[in-house]
Order: sequence, then structure tokens, then C-alpha cells
Amino acid sequence: MNTFWLVAKHEYRRMVLRRAFVLTTLLIPVGMAAVIGLAFLVGASAADKRPLGYVDHTQQLDITLWQNQPDADVELRPFSNEATAQTALENGDIQAFFVLPASYPNPRQTDLYFLEDPPNGDTWGAFDDFVRLNYVDTLDPALRQQLLDGPAVVVRDLDSGRTFSSASIINIILPFVATFIFFIATMSASGYMIQVVADEKENRTMEIMLTSLSPFQLIGGKTVGLLGVALTQLGIYGLTLVVGLLVARPYVLELQTAVIPWVYLGIMALFFLPAFALIAGIMVAIGSIVPNLQQGQQVAGLLNFLFILPIFLLAIIIENPSAPLAVAFTLFPTTAFLTVSLRWGLGSVPLWQLGTSWVILVLTAVFAVWAAARIFRIGMLQYGQPLSWKTAVAALHNS
Amino acid sequence: MHTIIVSNLAKSFGTVQAVADVSFTVSPGEIFGLLGPNGAGKTTTLRLMMDIFKPDAGEIAIFGGDLTLDKKRRIGYLPEERGLYKEEKLETTLLYLAQLKGVDEKTARQRLGEWLERLDLAEQRQQKIQTLSKGMQQKAQIIATLLHDPDLIIIDEPFSGLDPVNTRLVKQIFEEQRAAGKTIIMSTHQMHQVEALCNRIVLINRGRSVLYGLVNEIKRNFAGNAIVLEGQGDFSQVPGVLDVRQHNGTWEMGLQVGTDPQAVLQQLLTQPDNRITRFELAEPSLDDIFVQVVGRSNQ
Repeated sequence: MNTFWLVAKHEYRRMVLRRAFVLTTLLIPVGMAAVIGLAFLVGASAADKRPLGYVDHTQQLDITLWQNQPDADVELRPFSNEATAQTALENGDIQAFFVLPASYPNPRQTDLYFLEDPPNGDTWGAFDDFVRLNYVDTLDPALRQQLLDGPAVVVRDLDSGRTFSSASIINIILPFVATFIFFIATMSASGYMIQVVADEKENRTMEIMLTSLSPFQLIGGKTVGLLGVALTQLGIYGLTLVVGLLVARPYVLELQTAVIPWVYLGIMALFFLPAFALIAGIMVAIGSIVPNLQQGQQVAGLLNFLFILPIFLLAIIIENPSAPLAVAFTLFPTTAFLTVSLRWGLGSVPLWQLGTSWVILVLTAVFAVWAAARIFRIGMLQYGQPLSWKTAVAALHNS
Repeated sequence: MHTIIVSNLAKSFGTVQAVADVSFTVSPGEIFGLLGPNGAGKTTTLRLMMDIFKPDAGEIAIFGGDLTLDKKRRIGYLPEERGLYKEEKLETTLLYLAQLKGVDEKTARQRLGEWLERLDLAEQRQQKIQTLSKGMQQKAQIIATLLHDPDLIIIDEPFSGLDPVNTRLVKQIFEEQRAAGKTIIMSTHQMHQVEALCNRIVLINRGRSVLYGLVNEIKRNFAGNAIVLEGQGDFSQVPGVLDVRQHNGTWEMGLQVGTDPQAVLQQLLTQPDNRITRFELAEPSLDDIFVQVVGRSNQ
């Protein structure tokens, strides 16, 4: 096996078999699933399943129209007058009741009676649907369906030709999911790389390693191994997410109509790899310069900020995805991934910006790994003594 | 053909001249000693040879030319600053290091079994390295140096941390490697080990080669002004003898400059009361030569 891949494989196995990795990788999705499941259970048990009553003084509403609806999951019960409805309410037979005055819909005003808590949004919405259903029943079926579904606004971007509609909720969700995933990956990767450099320093294996392979093979192999570790972690998170979405799909209409945005995912994959290499390179260089793990983690924390900066300026990017700041962040290597993700999900990114950003990111990543390998080589041979910035720069210059 | 040719090597770090002028050659089938006091430039010389540092001046030829990655695979290196992945198992680490040197896993596993048995580490193969004693870790390092069957073995203080039994075992292993035609460079402060193992040496002081050659010749060259004598008679008043010391029946005589030991012997034999049972030129130990040469070059 090629030495590069041998190092990658060894590093991957070494990290994945650690107890800390197994615990953090499994605990996060399990914890999230537990929280979501608990919230779902609490919500489901707290929901009032009792019928919703109504008194129709207009004599226009036909309850059979509602009963014939396949997705009518709220039971509506008609009452002839307020007194009988109130009795049912006080007896606990219904959770609340609406009263439509004889003049309805002029004005469009109804009264709602309940004892302690008003009906939840779904129940309230069901009554709205029932009323709307009665008023459009006599219209042409196509027009009726359109009125029942409400307006479908589709925004088309003239530059890219991409369309955005309220039905494609996944477009809105994905950038935030990608942001979260990148955030986790950034933190994990920087932590792992600092740890790897600290291990090499602590174990004093550098001279043996350098007489077996080149610094680039060593650092490159370790980076790829750790990329595998991060992808494994993300894969488990992603799998949990997919399972969650599949479970939620029957209950969330938007998920049923959602289309997976493959172009977006492809672009993000293209940006993720060099972004990861850039993080790894920077962290290796930092780990090589500082004398111990603790200082490395402190500096790494500051540098991580450069990568997740768009999260803190999310409001500006959401408000205007083409603002000069957003464009600058798109082109700057450390902020490119998150900014492109957010802008692409919320609007569009001109192709020239996308291409330029990717090229800058790749070049910066290659330089970072190259520089890291050299600084690592010099730093490791200092055996616990800090490497001055001057020496680090000299190492690059002399190479 | 020489395995290693080092010519006029020089390397400085900032204002510190670590190596100023070091030259030597090493041939297959010999154990070569790289000696010198602390800070003399031995480790830097080894690191320059292993391409860990680049020299400022001079030339190094390993296996007939520059050191490539392929050539590095033919070298077993036990560095001064040594270590293994402490949290990993012994077997996993050694297999990994052997594979990095180009040995396939099956062969490495087979050889490793033999080495572990020989160095009495078989029972520890599944233990984490940090749980092993210092001596066991040293033996593990020696296995890592030899597992890929290198043609050139470079060892820095190989007996560090070993008890007498294991020291003897490791010496035997190096003797076997030499007999198999391997080239060995050994850097150590233990002069008796150098005397026992090395054919030739170079002594480095303040970054320069100050003594270089065959161990026997060097000792002979430093042996000219003293004799060792055993026998019966009065040896306290012999012409040309500067000082006389006696202990356990052995006389050590320091000769005046220009005194021929043969003339001293003839003088002793002319005395009828003298019976000589042993007469030889006193060879100083390498330890004495080391101290003498380093002291002289420091003046």
C-alpha cells in the first residue's frame, strides 16, 4: 500500500477506535433524537383531541363536505345554538366552539368560546379550512382547488434561472443544516489535528517517521485520515438526519413535496474538501509552533472563529445575500464555505464569484498544507521548545 | 564500495556551529563508532546523514549518492530522541513502522513474531507501549530499527536502559548483523562497548573530526610511551623509565620521551635476578584516549 494511504488508514483507525470518538459520535445524534422524540411525545400527549364545536347562524355550512375530506383529522361538531354548545363545552365534550353570526361573511368575524386554553393552531386552521371549503364548493373544481391551496409564490432568479418556492422548504433548511455540519466538522477537525501534532511531539516519533516518509506524505496522510474520521462522524449525523426526515415525512407536507437540491450538495462537496484541508493545514502549523496542546487549543479557538464568522453575521447575509460584505466573505478562503452555502440556499451566487472563490480556496488550501508540512518538520525537531514565528517563516523561505 | 561517504560536512544553527568539518567513510560489514563528548555534533551529523537537516557545506553519499525515499527504506535508524506511540499496542505500532518501510503486512507479522520471541517481548505484544518498562521500550525500538531488514543500521546509544543480560543479547544481534554484511554506525558514550564492537571510529569534538581510524591502530598509536611488566625482580630502577606503578604483581612503567621499549626490555634481561614472564606495550583504553584527545583539542 502506498505510504500516504498507509498513514491515512493508520490515523483513521487510531482515532475512530478511541473511546472519546465513539462516545461523542454516538451521543450527539442519540441525544438529539431523544430530545426531538421527547418533544414530539410531550406535544402529542398535550394535544387536545376533543372535537371542536360550532354554531352556524348563516345556515350555510355543510358538515358533510368536511367529513368527506381525506385529511380531516380534527372532528367538527355542529350545534344549533350557543346554549347547547356551551353545555357541551362545560361538560368537556368539546374543547371550544365558534359562533358564526347570521351576517357572516359581512363582516368576516366570528366568536370563539373556550374555558381555559384556546384550541391550538392546527385545530383553529381546520375550522378555517372547513369554512373556506363551504364558500368555494360551488365554483369550478380547478379554481376551487387553487383557492383552497392558497397562493403559490415562485421566485425565479434571472441570473442563474434557479427558482424558489414555499414548497421547496428543503432549500431553506439545507444551508442551516450545512452550516451546523460544517461547524461540527471544523471544531472536530481542528481538535483532531492539534491532538495529532501534540501526539507526535509527545511521543517523539518524528525522526523515525521522517526517515521513512516525506513530511508531505506524513501530514497529507494524517489529514486524509482525519478527513475520513470527520466524514464518518458527519455520515453518522447525516444518516440520523435522513432517518429523522423519513420519520417526519408523513407528518410534514413540505417534506413530501421537497426535491433534493443535488446541485447545491455538489457545490458544497466541492467546497468542503479544500476548506477541510485549509483548516487541517492551519491547525498543523499552529500545533507545530506552540509548545503544548493547551496553547494550541487556545490559538485554534481563535482561528476557528475565522471559519465560522458568517454565522455571527447571518442576519446581514440573510437580509441581503449579495451585499458587499457577503461577496467579500465568499471570496475569502476561511469564510467561503459557509457564505457560499448560505447565499446559494437563500438566493444565488454569480458564477464568477463561485469560480473565483473556489480557486482561491483551493490555492490557499494547497499552500496551507505545503507550509504546514515544512513548519511541522522543523517544529517537531525542537522537541518541546516553542518555535518562533521567525523560524517558521524561515522554514518556508529556505524550503 | 563505501556505504557512506561523509566529506567536510558543516552545519550551523544561527550563530552555533554544530558541525564544522567532519569526514569519514563506512563500508559494508563493519561496525563504525561515532564518538564525541556531549554537544560535539554527533547527533547533528547523524541527522544530516538521514536528511533530517540539510548541510551548509560538504557532501554526503549514502549507497553511492543522495538519500532518496527508496534508500531510506534500506536504513534502520534508532535516533537519540526516540519514542513510539505510547497509547498504541506494541504489535500494532511495530507492524505500522515496518509497513512504512515497505514491508508487506504478512512478512512484517512473521518477522515480528520471531523478533518478539528473541527479545522476550512476545507476551507484551498486545500491551500498550506506555505500560512497558524502559528496557522493554528500548528493545521495542531496536525491533523497529531492524524489522524491515535494513542494509544500513544507524544506532544512537543502543544500550541505553538495558540490563547486562539484554545488553549482551543486543550486542550479539549487532554482531550477527555485521556478519550478514550489514553496515552499522553506532554512536555511544559507552567506550567499552565501542572497544568490544567497533572496527573503526571517528571522534568528533566541537564539530570537527579529531581522531579517525581502526580501533586497534589508534590504541597502538597511543601505546608507545608505556609498558606493562610481570615477573620477579626489582623493576623500580630502570634507565629511561619515568615512573613506575605496581599493583597485584603487575608493573606499569611510563617511559621518557624517546625511550625505545625494546631497549628497556634488553636492559631488564641483562639483570640476572630478573625473571620476566610478561612484557607488552601498554595499550590505553579508548576511554583514556577519548579523554586525552578531547582534552588536547579543547586547549
